[in-house]
Amino acid sequence: MSLISFKNFSFRYKNLKAPTLKNINLDIEAGQKVLIAGPSGSGKSTLAHCINGLIPFTYKGEITGSLEINGIRPYEKSIYEISKYVGTILQDQDGQFVGLSVGEDVAFSYENDNVPVDIMHKGVNKALKEVEMINFIKEVPHNLSGGQKQKVSIAGILATSANILLFDEPLANLDPYSSKKAMDTIDSIHKNQNKTVIVVEHRIEDVLEHDFDRIIVIDNGEIVADGTPDELLPDNILSYYGLREPLYIEVLKSCNIRLSKEDKISKIENVKKFKDSIVKDYNLNSKVKDESDKKVVLSVENISYKYYKDSEYVIKDISFNINSGEVMAILGNNGAGKSTLLKVISGIARQQEGTIKYMGEPIDRWSVKKRGQVIGYVMQNPNHMITKNIVFDEVAFGLRNNGYDEDFVKKRVEDTLKVCSLYQYRNWPIMSLSYGQRKRVTIASILAMQPKIIILDEPTAGQDYRNYREFMSFLDDIKKTGISIVMITHDMHLALEYAQRAVVMSEGRLIINDTVYNVLSNKEIIERANLKETSISKLAKIYDVEDKSSFLEYFTNKIKDGANC
Amino acid sequence: MSRTGSLYIDRNTIFHRLDGSIKLMLWICWTIFIFMFMDIRVFAIMTIVGFVLLRIAQIPFKSIKPLLIFIIIFTIFNSILLIIVTPEYGSQLTGKYTVLLNLFGVKLTMQTLFYALTLSLKYISLLPITLLFLFTTNPSEFACSLNRLGVSYKVAYSISIALRYIPDVRDEMINIINAQEARGVPFKKGDANTIKLLKNYLTILFPLLISSLQRVDVVSNAMDLRGFGKYKTRTWYNRRPLELNDYIFIVISIALVILGVFVKNNFLNKFYCI
Repeated sequence: MSLISFKNFSFRYKNLKAPTLKNINLDIEAGQKVLIAGPSGSGKSTLAHCINGLIPFTYKGEITGSLEINGIRPYEKSIYEISKYVGTILQDQDGQFVGLSVGEDVAFSYENDNVPVDIMHKGVNKALKEVEMINFIKEVPHNLSGGQKQKVSIAGILATSANILLFDEPLANLDPYSSKKAMDTIDSIHKNQNKTVIVVEHRIEDVLEHDFDRIIVIDNGEIVADGTPDELLPDNILSYYGLREPLYIEVLKSCNIRLSKEDKISKIENVKKFKDSIVKDYNLNSKVKDESDKKVVLSVENISYKYYKDSEYVIKDISFNINSGEVMAILGNNGAGKSTLLKVISGIARQQEGTIKYMGEPIDRWSVKKRGQVIGYVMQNPNHMITKNIVFDEVAFGLRNNGYDEDFVKKRVEDTLKVCSLYQYRNWPIMSLSYGQRKRVTIASILAMQPKIIILDEPTAGQDYRNYREFMSFLDDIKKTGISIVMITHDMHLALEYAQRAVVMSEGRLIINDTVYNVLSNKEIIERANLKETSISKLAKIYDVEDKSSFLEYFTNKIKDGANC
Repeated sequence: MSRTGSLYIDRNTIFHRLDGSIKLMLWICWTIFIFMFMDIRVFAIMTIVGFVLLRIAQIPFKSIKPLLIFIIIFTIFNSILLIIVTPEYGSQLTGKYTVLLNLFGVKLTMQTLFYALTLSLKYISLLPITLLFLFTTNPSEFACSLNRLGVSYKVAYSISIALRYIPDVRDEMINIINAQEARGVPFKKGDANTIKLLKNYLTILFPLLISSLQRVDVVSNAMDLRGFGKYKTRTWYNRRPLELNDYIFIVISIALVILGVFVKNNFLNKFYCI
């Protein structure tokens, strides 16, 4: 008898006509570590909700077929009954932290179960030791990073007797370093506590290096693939369903290498035998690119900033240029000072030392509003920016604030909407647009002001590979208008594919400013700034390639071109 | 206010060690006591006692100053309003008319002035005990204190949740304001007139509301998944058994109310005026 068993299971949300899950047959055995992958809207979260009981108890709908967990049918019991067997970690690290301090949050299930206080305190301490957070027991959530909050949530689940741990997109919103730590924590729990682990995630590269027994791919409400990573990776199943394969596998495939299950390519060490064909391809085709000089739009000179007179500098002595028409990536972990730097550039915060020049002219005394006309800032979460109901009004908002007359506004807004492929939606309510479309609306609303530089904070966070591709090709189009793009990102591969230059911040200082390929093949920098090496760089190491930077550049572009045709 | 939005100041005094529910009870009894009287001598004594308690709790004057100024301004406005609306009220209560000012037949009497002063001190006498509760009670104890006094745990916990998410919502609000500022919306004095500024603050409510609603969704799912509301009762991580101190203060609180009733019925049963 399997631990979790779906039989001819279908589910339809109450307000939808068509079922979201169709005829699912799936058995998960005790002790397995399973990855459930699928593009946005595939139904993977719905499947997770069926396992943890949010369906049908919070999200109502119609169930046909059967689902048994530990021999019981969850939908015939209550959500409390299921929580004895299934512990869930949600993707919003902040929202799910319900306690006022770390200890309280871990104790939450105990409290609800009427566990006596002394037993509760022992259990909380034990669970926090398990995730190495015991020293933070009195800390308030505001002072914790996303990764730390997630560890606390995991401790909260460990404190219960649940033997199935369900992670719903655990890596969303985490920087690369915290992602790796999170997966390590999940690993050690799986190994030491003999729990069954189910991870729902579309960032496959970050997940797969952590030994999964099984990948289940969902598309359009159905299971379309189910097998070990070694079985699935050689085929093109993942990319066919809009999921990003690990990069080194894309490299292998781009060189037309035939892969099979026996190659065991889920471990990167096992691809060593393909060295000859890969290195040959690289030597034959790579060429040195010439860097043309460009005009400097904005120069940041020796900027330092601190919040209060007597506190320490949050960013110190930062200098770099932004050239016209280039895409620059700002990399670094949470807390490295990236957002503070942005605040200073956009004028929301004022630096104590240094100066910022636009086209050679100091703009330190410019107001936020005036700077906003040359430097546009797009926040990570589009919902934080949108204040109007209708797409047109939202895009026109900034122009109208600046007092342009209505004819001009109409023309400018319509032009911008066309560039952003949103013209057909101009009279739509924004609430009816998808997340990706809303993100585009916010960019359009900034572009309408025709800034010279646009700053994007985590432009692709929360989007699956298909949307990512679509969105980035949209940005490529925008780049052609001559605007400079500055992106803050945790996604090393995004930086590689779309940025020419990378600036890396660590502990408030700028530690390198170079081409993105040089930066991301520099091991010392990667370690110092807690960035993550992409698997292409790992490949270069495995194959003993001398010039790692150019290897990285060659294959990044090869994969990108392959994906675009 | 600290970064977390709470007023709690960590010290180790008798009031910090006192259980939150007992402090709440003391606050309630204190308030009942004050509202029984209309006598400036009682209020003066209680105000002094209150500030002594604050001193014992080692609350620095610096942190109570803003609240103190706020309440004083509030009572001054309140007094002015009272004097304008009912300039003879104090005299009606006492039956004595000592006219201080006569404007077109509207008389301001000394008794009314004294009444306003008494009323002001009444409000001020509630201040120290309120501050004592706020500054010495860890926010983590609020919910379980209320629950101990008989408030249903679901209601009590909602306060805890509010305290938990206030700093987050505040950060979010600052973010939203920054984004709008960059798009040319003025939020600072001097950039536009007051009505325009107020209107601009209203526009940020929309995104704030949307994101708060999404948060509510996540929070309630997270709570459901971890068994909130499973049983009629729940235990509390931060609850300790009551100690001798706590019982002493229960007695003091009840004694205070009894004393109030006794004094009120036998001695000071009406508005006291010099």
